Formats: sequence, C-alpha cells, structure tokens
Amino acid sequence: MSSLVVQSGQRLRAGLVAEPAGFWALVVVVLYAAVAGGVWLGWWGGDWSALAGPGWAGPSADHWLGTNRLGQDILARALAATATAFEIGVLVALTTTAIGGLAGGLAGYSSPGWADEIVLWLMGTLDAIPFYLLVAALAFALHGHAWAMHLAMIATFWTTTARLVRAETQRIRRLPFIEAARVAGLRPRSIIVRHILPNTAHILLVQTTLVFIAAIKVEVVLSFLGIGTQDSISWGVMIAEGSQDILAGQYGNFVVASLFLFGLVMAFSLLADQLQDSLDPRTRDSRWQPHG
Amino acid sequence: MFIRQTRALICLLLLLAVACGSGPDEEAVYRHAIDGLPGSLDPAHAGDVYSSTLVVNIFDTLYRYRYLARPYELAPNLAADFPDVSEDGRVVTIRLGEARFADDPAFADGRGRPVTASDVVYSLRRHFDPATRSQGAWLWRDRIVGLDAWGLAGADPQADVAGLQALDDRTVRIELTRPYPQLVNTLAMALSAIVPPEAVAQYGREFSVRPVGSGPFRLLSLDESRAVLAPNPHFDRGTLDLAAEGFDPARHGHYGLEALDGRRYPFLDRLEVHFIAEPASRWNSFFSGRDVDNVMLPPDQAVRVLESTRPLSFRPGIERDFHTHVGQETGLVFYGFNMANPRIGYHEDPERDRANRALRCALRDAFDWDARNRVFYQGLGEVFPGVLPPFLTEHEPALATDSIEHDPAQGRRRLADHGWSTEALPELAYGFESSVERRQMFEQFRAQLGAIGYPPDKVRSAGFASFGEYHRAIINDQIDVFLIGWTLAYPDAQYVLQLFFGPNAAPGANLFNYANADFDAIFGRAESLPPGPERTELYRELNRLVIDDCVIIGSLTRTRLHLWQPRVRMLPDREVLGGFFLRFVGVQEPPA
Repeated sequence: MSSLVVQSGQRLRAGLVAEPAGFWALVVVVLYAAVAGGVWLGWWGGDWSALAGPGWAGPSADHWLGTNRLGQDILARALAATATAFEIGVLVALTTTAIGGLAGGLAGYSSPGWADEIVLWLMGTLDAIPFYLLVAALAFALHGHAWAMHLAMIATFWTTTARLVRAETQRIRRLPFIEAARVAGLRPRSIIVRHILPNTAHILLVQTTLVFIAAIKVEVVLSFLGIGTQDSISWGVMIAEGSQDILAGQYGNFVVASLFLFGLVMAFSLLADQLQDSLDPRTRDSRWQPHG
Repeated sequence: MFIRQTRALICLLLLLAVACGSGPDEEAVYRHAIDGLPGSLDPAHAGDVYSSTLVVNIFDTLYRYRYLARPYELAPNLAADFPDVSEDGRVVTIRLGEARFADDPAFADGRGRPVTASDVVYSLRRHFDPATRSQGAWLWRDRIVGLDAWGLAGADPQADVAGLQALDDRTVRIELTRPYPQLVNTLAMALSAIVPPEAVAQYGREFSVRPVGSGPFRLLSLDESRAVLAPNPHFDRGTLDLAAEGFDPARHGHYGLEALDGRRYPFLDRLEVHFIAEPASRWNSFFSGRDVDNVMLPPDQAVRVLESTRPLSFRPGIERDFHTHVGQETGLVFYGFNMANPRIGYHEDPERDRANRALRCALRDAFDWDARNRVFYQGLGEVFPGVLPPFLTEHEPALATDSIEHDPAQGRRRLADHGWSTEALPELAYGFESSVERRQMFEQFRAQLGAIGYPPDKVRSAGFASFGEYHRAIINDQIDVFLIGWTLAYPDAQYVLQLFFGPNAAPGANLFNYANADFDAIFGRAESLPPGPERTELYRELNRLVIDDCVIIGSLTRTRLHLWQPRVRMLPDREVLGGFFLRFVGVQEPPA
C-alpha cells in the first residue's frame, strides 16, 4: 500500500512538472489555503464585521479594496470568507469521501446482496430529492442551525462518490489478488479496507477535489439566497450585497468576491483535472494493473 | 356584381380602420405599479396595502379621506354624511347615500342591485363569523354591543346583534360598548368595505379573486402580474370638487389637476395595477416609458433621481421629464425589546430590574440613528424620539432628543453605574426577516454596540425566511431585540400607542410585552376621548413613558419619492389614503 502511495506521489509530481497549468493551480490553492490559515490563526480578516471607515469608499492605504455600504473593509471580508469557504469545503469533502468510499466499497463488494440493495436504495432516495429543497427542509427542521447547510451537502454529495467506488469495487473484486486474499481467509472488512479502497484512491482523490469545489459553490449560492452561513461572512453574502450595491453604481463588493471565488474554483478545477490525468489508470496507462 | 362586392369590401375595410382607430390607443388608460402582490381581494382579508389598493376601488367604504388635504381629513363616501353620535358617544347612526353594486351573475337578473344598510350590517358582522377568518375583526373587537358574542355563539345569520342594526334600507345604527372616536376611521379602511351577501354565498372562497362591489371600478382580470379594472357604470358620486378635496394651487398647481375639476369621476376607461416587487424591474418598467406610468423609489435607488438630499432636489432631467412628489410615510421603523425576557426586560428582583432598564437604555445610547439613516435611507428619513411620527398632529417637535442621540459614553456610564461587566452582559438574540438589507442592518447594529463594550459574539443573529416565521419567533420569546415597521392605517396616535397597551401583550399587537399600569390607565382614558388638546396631551404623556422605560430604540419615518409620467394627472399616495386616489386619476387626451 505504501508503494502505491509513493508511486502515486511520483506520478503526480511528474504530471505537475509536465503540465504547468496544474502546477500553477496547486500554487494558487496553496495560497488560498495560506490565506485561510492566516484567518484561523487570527493574523488577518478578524475584523471583517467592524465598521472600519466611510461607506463605499474607494481603494486606499487603509482599505486596499475599498469598503462596502456599511463601511466594512472589503479585503478583510474577502479574506475571512476564504476561511469560511475552506472550512466548508474541507469538512464536506472529507466527510463525503469517507462516507461515499465506505458505502460504495461495501455495496460493490457485497453486490448482489442486501447491503448493496440498502445502499442503492438510500442513494436513489437521496438523489431523488431536489437539493435546494432538502437544504430548506433541513434548515427548517434544525431551526436555522448553522450546520444545516453542511448536513444537507454531506447527505447528498456522498452518493456520487459511492456510485463511482461501487462500480470500481465490482470490477476489482473479480481480480485474482482479491480472490487470493479471500482464499487466504481475510475477512471482507479487511479486504475492503486493505485491498480494495487503496485501489480506488485515484477516484477518492479526484472526487475529494470535485466535492470541495462543489461545496464552495453551493455554499456561495445558498448564502446568496440567505439560507447559507449564519453568523459568518461568505463570498455568497458579499455577492448578494454586491447585487444591491450595483443598483447604486458600486461594484467593489461584487467584483472582489466574484474574483476570489473564481480564482479558487478555477485553480481547484485545474488541479482536479491534473489529478485525474496523473492518477486515473484508464487515462494514464492502458496497461495499468491493480496493486494488491 | 363585381363593383357591388368591391364597394362592400372597401366599406368593410373603412369600418375596420375606424374601429381600430378608436381602440386601446385612444382609451384613457393608467398603469399603476405597486411593489407587491395583493393577498386577497376579499375586504375581510385586505389587511395589506396591496390588497387595500385594489379593494377600495372595487368596493365602497362608508368613509374615505380627502384626496389632497393634509393632514388627512375624513370625508363621507358611501355614507351620505358624517355620523350622528349620541351625547355619551356610544350610539352612532349612519345614513347611506345611493349606490348600486356592479352587474354580476351573482344577482338575480345579473344586474347589480342597490346597496342597503343590511349590506353594511352583513359586511361588518361577517368579520366575526369564524368561517370568514377575518383579518379585520380586531378593529371592532369588544367595541360593538353583542357582536363578539354573536360570533362566539356560532354566527347565526338569522340572529340579531343588538349593537349593529339596519333601521331601514338607508340607516345603520351602531351601539358601542364604550366611546370609540376612531370608529369612523375604521370605516374608511378597506377591511370595512361593503360586500353583497349574494356574491359571497355564490363564490365562496373564490370571492377573493372574483370581487363584486359598488366601488368606482370593477375587476376585468387578475393574474400574478397585474389586475385590470374598468369603470363600474353604476358608480355615481357626482363630480370632482377639487376645492373640497383640499386643492392648494401652490402645492398642487403643477400637476394638471385643474383640468379634471368639475368632471364626473372616475376618469379612466381602463385601470391597470401592475405588481412588480423587484425595485430595479419597477424602475426599468417606468423609465422605459412603455410600461407602467408611475414608480415609488426605494431610498437606495434615490441616487438615480436626486441632485441632493439636503435640501432635497431632483435632477434637472428628472424634473423636466416627469412629475415628482416627495411625501412622508404614515408610519415608522424602530427597534423593540422583549420585556418578558428577564435577561433584559422585567425582573422580579427590583435591583436587577433597574439594571436591565439601564442596559436597554445603554443599547439605545449605542445605536446611531444618523448612520442608519445615512446608509439605508440616503439620509432621507426623519429621526424622532418615541413613536408618534411627524405626520400626526400629536407629534411633539420640541420633545428632548437624547433618546435618539448616539452617545456611547453615556451608555458606558449607565452600564458601569449598574454593575454590568463585559462577562455579565447577556447574550442577545437579534431577529430579522432574511434579506441582504436586514442582515446588513444587523451587522451595523452589532458593530455599533461595540462602542459601549458589548462583545460581538454576544449578539447572535436569527434570520427567518418569512415575516410569518419572524413574527412567530417574536411572539414565542425567541428574540430579544427586533426591528419593527408599523404603518398607521388611520391618522390617530391610538393606532401606534396600542402597541404598548398591556392587555394587547403577545400574541397581540404588544410584541414587546410592555406592562406599565400607568400607561394602561392613561391609554384607556385617551382612546375614548374625541380629538382635542386633552387627548393630545395624554398621547404625548404615553409617548414619554415609552421613551423613559427604554422599551424601544426609535424611531425613524421614511420619505417616499414618487415619479409619474407627465401625461397623468394625479397626486399619488399609498399611505393612509391607500388606493382611494385612483378614482381621481386622469390622463391627458392624445393630440387630435
């Protein structure tokens, strides 16, 4: 398994060197992560809600990107919103990957069987509910709790990961090394965790990045609609404010939040493509053989 | 044969041309934009301004307000004159003028019948029938002898109500449980409009979209974007007497109203009321000149039309191209505290009770009304102490303004004097109906509290998807401080002071759960008095009590900016007047 990780790392590194777009995307993502880290450490962005200056002030030494209608610093808000985006993106991506991976692995390995039936039914049911309706229902049921949006995303996003892992597992489990593990007397749980899931790592990694992007975009949309973040700042909130500001001829809030969002989503999308190209055996190497 | 056919064809084409020429283009059409959709056209449910705008034009009310007179003055509408009131103020007798319902299949021969006193009695009684689910019963609850009991006993249509009777076809007698000088005001509200029992019975719930009344217009069509109305041919209130309506050449001379003087109204062949909630769409619809004929601009769009705010002046191009009018709303916005919450309101321990009052007053000191006015109302609002807005005659211009001044030093002193430390300050739940603007107001409020040392993490936001949810949360004590907008349906301070009357505590109108025995005693005395200096002084005393007890942070009254196309002769008003002015709207005839 360790050799698999090392090989994957080598392939990724080689891919990033060969493809500058992927490399620069990684640089941008690291930059955003550093911004989020700075906010968490209290280095910047902590005064995003302070009335720091006159309303709708232009860029100046005090306010590099100007202020919004209330006189809040737009840069401080954009930086703090980066941390919000990362919090949501990381939490939702990791949770859905874990749930989707395990559920997909279990379903794929036991297919056909009752565990597969249950997971399929659950995925079908959740996918049948319109996403924004589910968020609204959860927000109502949880009395507008701050975690309603996170729960709704986790509840729906894991199904795509699970479907992909399930299909891959169904393919892998017929391969000789799995048969060998079974004959050797390994229990199904061990086979799934030690032999099957590591061979779906490329799917899980790419899915994590895709869910990360999707979570950020959905958070922005939900915050724009007023059912997203409650007591914190988000690019969605800034864009919603900006849409009102535009009527008064003020574009700062809208442009800054949109650029921050665009930058991160674009960088992560390029990075996801690079990961896909480097790690997916079907796109990387037609002679690919799984590692047992 | 051929020649005859050709002649016939030419005649037909000529006829068609003439018919087309006298079509919609030559009709007197006015397209009125409002910023919301009416909830119902049934008067019993016309509790919002959008419903009222249509209801007072389709139905008749007994009274209305004079078109141009300010302060607002009542005038008879369906009533022949003002009511006769007994010496003790408890018996009110109203004589009706002549009116006839619009033609409708609900009537025996499809022809509208005359409106009678029985219709008035039916329309008011209907509010107390539980099946009606009236939004207006509160106006007359505990006011008319026997009416509440009649509703509670099952609302038997055959049973009499002692205090509400038709003496003959033209006379209504109302016996009150106690003097109610505001009764006539309530009879000018859309909620009191007169409905025909036949139509209510025939259409049932559909009556809310198939209204039948005796007002100046009848409904032709209604959908989610507009209502189309045509004149009710049976409506006849004579001619427009501009002088009687309060016309002042200095104030109204440039609106072209004189051309309508002495003419029979309504003046329109077709009235369209467009429902456009989105401000930008409303503006574009108006400014294009092709759609609606008027617009009322929200303050944050004032920048489009104003040259300056102090003194207020429109841009030259706007003045040149449109009619303009600046008015003040007949309402106010203010923050209220939940006095039932022992953390900031009443407390059984007298010392803590005093400390809580100091805390509320300190929050009031921290709040900056000038900033609120500047940021959200373009500086166009008027900030005043208490809850009696400037349009009321009871408004006290000389009242001390310390309750609306941003004085964080004073707030910090109050907190220190009563032993409030940062750790001891309670967590506050700030409620709002979710929207960008309301969220920004919360952020401004929270940041301003920082000036008295209130930690931001102790001011928690609670956003609600709809006004209904927000209102329920206030009633259920889930919120400690909340923003309230209150529009007075009639120009009497009683309408706003009732918000603080103890017996009206939540779920009633007193959302603050304010309970002050002195206030209740004075309010009880004042509301039974006719207008006059004695009542004015009592109202002002009540206002001062509300200020002294720091029940509210307030208030501000907003400025309305109206623009309309120069071809339209009118003076719009959506305040107390509601939609009454639409019957007096005229349009210039197109050039021959």
